[in-house]
Amino acid sequence: MERSWYWRVALVVAVAILSIYQLVPSWFYFKLPPDQRNTEAYDTSVPGWAPDAKHHLNLGLDLQGGILLSMGVDVDRAVKTKVARRADEIGEFLKGKNVAFTGTKVVGGGAQVEVSAANPGEVKDAVLGSTGYSEEMYSPGGAPDGAVRFAFKDSVLRDFREKAVKQAEKVIRNRVDKWGVTEPDIKTKANNQIQVQLPGFKDPEKAKELLGRTAQLEFKIADDENPVLDQVRTQLPQCQGDRQGLSLPLPESGCWTVEPVELPSGGSRAATMVAANTRTELEKVITEKLNPLLDPQKNVVGIGEGQVGQGPIKTTYYRTYLLRAKTELTGDYIADAAVAIDQSDTLQRGRPVVSFKMSPEGARLMDKLTSENMRRRMATVLDDKVETAPYIQGRISSNGQITLGSGRNQQDMFDEANGIALVLKAGALPAPVTITEERTVGATLGPELVRKGTLAALVGLALVVVFMVVYYRGTGLVADVALALNGLLVLAVMSMIGTTLTLPGIAGFVLTLGMAVDANVLINERIREEMRAGRNVRQSVQLGYDRVFWTIVDSHVTTLVAGVVLFQYGSGPIRGFAVTLIIGLVASMFTSIVVTRVIMEYFTRHDTARLSV
Amino acid sequence: MQFKTFDIIPHDTKFDFVGKRHIAVALSLVVNLAVIVWSLPFVHGLNMGVDFAGGTEMEVQFGKAVDPADIRKTVEDLGFKGASVQTYGAEAEHTFLIRVERISLLTEADVARVADAVKAKLPVAGFAFNPEFGDKIDFQFSGAVDAAAVRAAVEAAGVKVRDVREEQGLTAGTRSYAVITQGIQENVQAGLKDHLGDAQPNVRRVEYVGPAAGRELQAQGLKAILYAIGLIVVYIGLRFDFRFSPGVVIAMLHDAIMTMGYFTITGREFNLTSIAVILTVVGYSVNDTVVIYDRIRENQAKLRGRSLSDIVNLSINEVLGRTFLTSFATALSLIGLLVYGVGTIFDFSMAMLFGIISGTYSTWFIAAPMTIWLEERAEKKKAKAKGAAAAAAAQPQARTAK
Repeated sequence: MERSWYWRVALVVAVAILSIYQLVPSWFYFKLPPDQRNTEAYDTSVPGWAPDAKHHLNLGLDLQGGILLSMGVDVDRAVKTKVARRADEIGEFLKGKNVAFTGTKVVGGGAQVEVSAANPGEVKDAVLGSTGYSEEMYSPGGAPDGAVRFAFKDSVLRDFREKAVKQAEKVIRNRVDKWGVTEPDIKTKANNQIQVQLPGFKDPEKAKELLGRTAQLEFKIADDENPVLDQVRTQLPQCQGDRQGLSLPLPESGCWTVEPVELPSGGSRAATMVAANTRTELEKVITEKLNPLLDPQKNVVGIGEGQVGQGPIKTTYYRTYLLRAKTELTGDYIADAAVAIDQSDTLQRGRPVVSFKMSPEGARLMDKLTSENMRRRMATVLDDKVETAPYIQGRISSNGQITLGSGRNQQDMFDEANGIALVLKAGALPAPVTITEERTVGATLGPELVRKGTLAALVGLALVVVFMVVYYRGTGLVADVALALNGLLVLAVMSMIGTTLTLPGIAGFVLTLGMAVDANVLINERIREEMRAGRNVRQSVQLGYDRVFWTIVDSHVTTLVAGVVLFQYGSGPIRGFAVTLIIGLVASMFTSIVVTRVIMEYFTRHDTARLSV
Repeated sequence: MQFKTFDIIPHDTKFDFVGKRHIAVALSLVVNLAVIVWSLPFVHGLNMGVDFAGGTEMEVQFGKAVDPADIRKTVEDLGFKGASVQTYGAEAEHTFLIRVERISLLTEADVARVADAVKAKLPVAGFAFNPEFGDKIDFQFSGAVDAAAVRAAVEAAGVKVRDVREEQGLTAGTRSYAVITQGIQENVQAGLKDHLGDAQPNVRRVEYVGPAAGRELQAQGLKAILYAIGLIVVYIGLRFDFRFSPGVVIAMLHDAIMTMGYFTITGREFNLTSIAVILTVVGYSVNDTVVIYDRIRENQAKLRGRSLSDIVNLSINEVLGRTFLTSFATALSLIGLLVYGVGTIFDFSMAMLFGIISGTYSTWFIAAPMTIWLEERAEKKKAKAKGAAAAAAAQPQARTAK
């Protein structure tokens, strides 16, 4: 045999073994009854030598029941609110500059601010002459006598809308996170739509309720001086880990650790925090262990996220913050927020910071709040999740700035600053969402479809297998071996990349197996043709494969194109179909071009070989 | 011979595909046009599912046999005119697809009535309702109100309320409430329980698509098909020659239309899955065509001097067995899906089968002959241009000779 042949055999065998290995978690996953698959029982049932339990074949919404919701973000309302707030703000600004005016109102379908004044020219100069306003507004004509109009630039309006959608997505993520749904899928689509898939979730009304609400942003002061949480150290295990972070996963019951906090008095203290792997776990610990210790009038426990790892490989855990119960300020009072580059002192210069603007009333409240709580942490709580808790460094009134903790690379800090700005904007931009599309699949339907789909696939497969053997005999058997490997390979890749199997996906799977046979038919027919032309078996096989190579590639690529387009434009189960089709076609190219050839070459290694084709 | 085979299609057929092309093209044209005309909304139209038409669709299974007329009557009595009730899956499963065009129980008139009723009792500063989004009315109040009062006011106007929740005010001082009214699903479910309770209606699946989302999906579906065809044409053009592309396009369109024909003729629901079938058929149809193009090219190099139509005919005949067998094998794999497939999957497989047959036919009778026709036209043009050029070249020569 040729040397390259051995290499190819090694490749084929390796692929086969790896495929089977990769399917081990899926095997254990499907062995469990459906209601236990997403629980601890599954994780513990997967043996230690197997691949990570995460990599199992997933069932799509249509096969395991669940909800798909598409939500439209009401960006028009977000813009309206923004304009209304700008109107208030401009009034306050003019007062501060001692420019005479009689009133501000929102006009132009909610997109423009009109200021009436005895001397409109003066108002116009004052507003457009100041930084901040001049960058985002201009003054179009058409204002009635005794008034001036301000309109937002298109790019600014676009930015409002985009931010509103991003903010809504963030809020939805937070909320879904709270329910402990395994593997939710949330993504932003065109036209201000956010699509949420909640596999296994059974209550569409609850989902619609909770996701449809506008987010609430609150500011609370962290009660770091209070030692009340320290008592919990006797009740919970201590978290394992070093200064770089905790070692995950954490114990199921949650664990405690300390973090150094600065106190207003100037000293510092090791404050207790409790951490857990998931939000659901942490909430359980809070209700059972922490809440009984607290006076609900004085303190609440806030939940935030912590991260271990660097760069793109980060793992999230959930942690507590001890907060004062009183909500000091809500997001209603924030006018705007953005990421800026620090210009202040030499040490911080060039670092990203979050700057924000308060509404006139908010500025008064913020001033009072910050002067009373100097050097305490102020937690911004978006939708019941502590997003950030910076120390109050100085008095903040109308324009504030949040400085980020240092010691990380610029990109990480920038991302974090963006996140915080978005959160603060959440207060500035209430962007309600409304359901535009809802698909609910009952839990009883799924298993029934899985059963029927599997049966359908098996019957189709059996027919193809039998046909190949009957028609091509020995060579047909070779094709069947390749077919089996093809099936394994597709399932293995699907489990590996964590894609989901949907009902159309099952159809796609069967179809790709049909097309894999297709390729084998092409090869075998070509070999027959070469043999008819008088070549010996060995030459026929070699020539057959060589000549049919591009035909197979062409025919696969054209279908692949359709698959890729489907993937791009499809949603939900259709995407599942597209993924299965794409993987199947690639696998089919491998099995028909490489795998069958290796086997065929073995059987026809002598010039005198005989072949039933 | 050292091997024995049996061929379903004899390997040395000499069927004159090219000669039959006029009849075939005429026949296909008629059938295609018929499908297109029949699919036009004002002639007969496709049975557009909620994916595209918008509306609410529920899959309801009953514990025993139910007369679909009873279901329809129940749903229409609830106020949904033109509800569609279709059996779904096997008869023994007593499963029906109920579709209503609306996504909200509320009409604009209802909302206006509710708004007036609320205004009479509470300081309403403004309200908003978007029929595209359905069951939610937004109220803004200029003074302090509480959720219970809002709920009472709306319910007094005769609209059932599921929830009232406070949202952030538009401006400082105003208060906003969102009133969520009872939705279609709850309404239909309750109605079916009331009237057909002994048949144990069980809602297994609910899909609800707003009209805007429906239009969006429709546009996307069309775009997807066009992009796929475009990309495939480019690939074929680059791999073979752009001369081959028009034949492929026509064949692909032919198969896409024929597949759509399945949905038109049977009246089965045309939805996102249907688009997936059409795309797969398009991809698959080229599959077959490519095999023949490959052979044409091979033969063109081998048999110089033979006319193109001879080469095409020979090529089709040479790979006849292959084309037939590959289609047969793929069709075979669909059998299981056809027998055991439920609902969508059955339609998917049936349409796919349609597409495979159409794809094989179009390969033989449409794509390859189309290539000949284009080639002949190009030849003629070339000849004409050559003639003209020769004439033009001849003239000045004549002049100089003078």
